[in-house]
Amino acid sequence: MTPRVSLVGVTFTYPGADRAALAGVTLDIGAGEIVVVAGAAGAGASTLLLVATGLAPRLVGGTLAGQRAIGARRCGIVFARPWTQLTGLCSTVRDEVAFGPASYGLPRETVLAAAERAMQRLGIAHLAARDPAHLSGGELQRVVVASALALEPDLLALDDPAAELDPEAADALYAMLPQLGRAGTAILIATPDLGRATAVATRAVQLEQGRIVRDGSPAEVEA
Amino acid sequence: MTPVPAVGLQVVWQDVRFAYGAGAAAVRGVSLSIGAGESAALVGPNGAGKTTLTRMAMGLVRPQAGHVTVGDWDVAERRPDQMASRVGYVFQHADQQLFARSVAQDVAFGPRRLGRSEALVPPLLEELGLAGYAAVHPYDVPAPVRKVVALAGVLAMAPAVLILDEPTAGLDREFRSRVVSAVRGRSDAGVTVIAISHDRPFIRSMGRVVEMRDGQIAGG
Amino acid sequence: MIGYVTGRSPLHRAHPYTTLALAGAVLLAAFAMTEPRTVWLLVLAAAALAAVGGVLRSSVRTALLLSLPIWALLFVLYALLGADPRVAFGPLSLSSPGIARALVLGGRVTAIVLSFLTALATTSPHRLVEAMTARGVPFGRTFLLASTLTILPRMRERAAQILEAQQCRGLRLGGSVLARLRALGPLALPLILGALAEVDEQVLALDVRGAAAGARRTAVDPPPDSQIQRALRWSLLLLVTAAYAWKFWSMRG
Repeated sequence: MTPRVSLVGVTFTYPGADRAALAGVTLDIGAGEIVVVAGAAGAGASTLLLVATGLAPRLVGGTLAGQRAIGARRCGIVFARPWTQLTGLCSTVRDEVAFGPASYGLPRETVLAAAERAMQRLGIAHLAARDPAHLSGGELQRVVVASALALEPDLLALDDPAAELDPEAADALYAMLPQLGRAGTAILIATPDLGRATAVATRAVQLEQGRIVRDGSPAEVEA
Repeated sequence: MTPVPAVGLQVVWQDVRFAYGAGAAAVRGVSLSIGAGESAALVGPNGAGKTTLTRMAMGLVRPQAGHVTVGDWDVAERRPDQMASRVGYVFQHADQQLFARSVAQDVAFGPRRLGRSEALVPPLLEELGLAGYAAVHPYDVPAPVRKVVALAGVLAMAPAVLILDEPTAGLDREFRSRVVSAVRGRSDAGVTVIAISHDRPFIRSMGRVVEMRDGQIAGG
Repeated sequence: MIGYVTGRSPLHRAHPYTTLALAGAVLLAAFAMTEPRTVWLLVLAAAALAAVGGVLRSSVRTALLLSLPIWALLFVLYALLGADPRVAFGPLSLSSPGIARALVLGGRVTAIVLSFLTALATTSPHRLVEAMTARGVPFGRTFLLASTLTILPRMRERAAQILEAQQCRGLRLGGSVLARLRALGPLALPLILGALAEVDEQVLALDVRGAAAGARRTAVDPPPDSQIQRALRWSLLLLVTAAYAWKFWSMRG
């Protein structure tokens, strides 16, 4: 089966940067894999997510060398700070979650059904009529993840998705990931919360100064 | 030059109440005392009132009933910039406050404002693993590192009371370890430490755990 | 106060295009009117609109605040320094045509500002975006408009957070002019830098959610429109056209 994303010898440098953020990265992510990307601050984990989803260099600028093939039909990405990911156009959680499917011009019933499914998955159906601007950080992050899932992405990139969540909500978020993996979604997680991430991951990749230094079982990285 | 207070001050909330607008009360009749030099973790689900309670100690939120004291100061009689000479408050999203041209300059902002020595800045940067970023613009460092810079800015003020809101959230292992070590070091030196956290190992390192639920203390 | 105020008034419940059409009609009509009497009738009409929207006090207060400098300038330019004949007003000698001119120009400004404040206060940016989406307006344009309408409250909230953070670092507000100027840096810089940094992330997040997909977006919850409202909007257009026709016909006559 075609990998969701295939990187061969990829080097990426941000505009104006002295050194490459990613250097000679070779990595294939297949359907259903849950890969935790570990590394110290500045090691390149977040950058790997941007490159794997095609957002870099397309939207962030910079230069990419090497070969990249994105087999995923649709990608989703979730960052640590939920309030920066809101559209600012929606007065209800339901509309916010429905934004993605609505952007593709899908029929209204399909849009609403996709939003409902995503909200159920994240346990936020009870927030459907609430204004996203008045939610707590934890509630908001679940809305953001639901918004990404509403498009049913083949490749989902999560950049420290539980940073704003209390322990119960964080556990629930990570517990949901294996189910997504079984449905075929490839998941990339960059997070310092290795305990939770490695518990659900099928594979772990460790980055140091933009290079992959380890690619194997989650247990190796957590050690 | 504002005087550096004696290390460690008691913080007392006496039957405080607060509600935002016409909604449900965020803090409902809380009485809590954190002794001078004590370290306490404030835990509980999101929306329990933890942040509102700590903001009262800084004068950012005025309780609608009850009062708060920090040492011999009644917080109701002080402005937040005055409380800053005793209380170091690190916001959950403290990286929003960074503005100087370099990390070192930003960390020096607080002590400069208080008329205190900036001599603490270089060793503090070293302690928190920020020495390599000293001359870098705060917005050119990774977002989690900005959070540590904000913490450094508060520690540089040498507060007698340290209030931290999720100090380890989003940090990698290295920075997390440095932050925990720095906080523990201040606590061992007698600074009163109050930390809101969901980080279980960090919570365990504190002397006491206070749980809040629905605007009230659940355990102490 | 400038910006949307939650409410259930008839203006809040009206289709956003109707509310904006009313404000637009006042704007256009104001320039068609040349007599103080008619202009000030328009100001009264704008005030009546604000009353219907439940925002009379706040809109009038803000409109007066915004118009005051212009009134002062008009008074000096036309009433004090205008042409003869002159009338005595206590110790002042004012130009009679100048007073009329100032009243017309000042009235126009007041009517326009008042009607737009009312429109802003009673038009939910979200409903406006949905209304535009339902009409097939491309996302880029709706986002630009909505961001402009919502940026003030967002920046205000952010500024309040930054202010608190800097106060907790010992920054004292108030004091001498120099002290206030010095306080600008720690307050304004993080506001701007932070907003720019967040825009980066927002662009990425919106892109993967299909904002740039190019398809015609589905309106999930479009505000209801009605024959009456559509008729009202057309009527406003006809009224304004008639006002201009009358103006040009009068000028020729």
